[in-house]
Amino acid sequence: MPYYETSQEWLRQSTLLLEARPTTTRITTKYHISKPTSRSSRKSKAAAPDTTTPSAQHPPRGTLTLKTYDPHSGVVLKYKTTKAAEVSRLILSLGRLGRRMAGLPKESEADEAMADAPPASTTTAEGKTQAQGGSGGGAGGSGGGGGGKGKKKKGKK
Amino acid sequence: MGRLSNDEFFSKLIELFDQRKGKDHGSIVLTQKRLTYDQPPLPESTSETIFPDLHPPRPMPVLVRATNAKGKESRAEKIKLSTVVDAEALPAFFERYAEVCKLGMVTLKPRDRSKRKGKAKKKKGGAAATAAVGAS
Repeated sequence: MPYYETSQEWLRQSTLLLEARPTTTRITTKYHISKPTSRSSRKSKAAAPDTTTPSAQHPPRGTLTLKTYDPHSGVVLKYKTTKAAEVSRLILSLGRLGRRMAGLPKESEADEAMADAPPASTTTAEGKTQAQGGSGGGAGGSGGGGGGKGKKKKGKK
Repeated sequence: MGRLSNDEFFSKLIELFDQRKGKDHGSIVLTQKRLTYDQPPLPESTSETIFPDLHPPRPMPVLVRATNAKGKESRAEKIKLSTVVDAEALPAFFERYAEVCKLGMVTLKPRDRSKRKGKAKKKKGGAAATAAVGAS
């Protein structure tokens, strides 16, 4: 259940997943407003009791989480952000993924985006998909999982 | 609740976002998936096309849902919206969707303009200075 660092990577992986399983994959967008943490609000009260309300200093924070989930294979791809500037772009990329869901051909933009993606990573993504599927063929699935892990470790280093 | 038309969906979605404005907690969950229920059946899989859903003969509609993520305890307050977007309407729908979401998600961190402003001012000042030099 990885959280991707960049929305581009999330979009790329989600596109691959949708390509493989267009019927069962769904995308959930969660906009969540969480209460400001009690510690920070207490702090602000203690530090500035006579200034404006603490809620003004610590407004409730929102997060936006994009999740692509395929119940058939169990693959989950996530991306999380708190930046308002990203909303518009993210929803438009949802639209791009929506085109895949509908079974429409790629847009020219999407084509370009896919063109410069290295083919090697495409295969590892497929391997991951298989590995997370679990119920997929035993040998193939485990092989794919190994490949995926190796790639991840490399990335971390 | 039955499916709404795209226009109704947007007006209800704006209401949904407005309800959360000024609150300090809560969620709004949006979902999209391919609509397969009640659709003309796909062709049988053959040896050439093992998965006919990969390349449907005609574009499939997309189902879009929105809820305020209320659970069992507050079932009465739960709001569920859903709409079906036809393949041809997708680009227009998502442009509007993006607009509605941008206006609705007000608690996200706004773009930090302080730095850019400072730079812009400097640039402007520089430009003005050079312009002044040029004019004189």
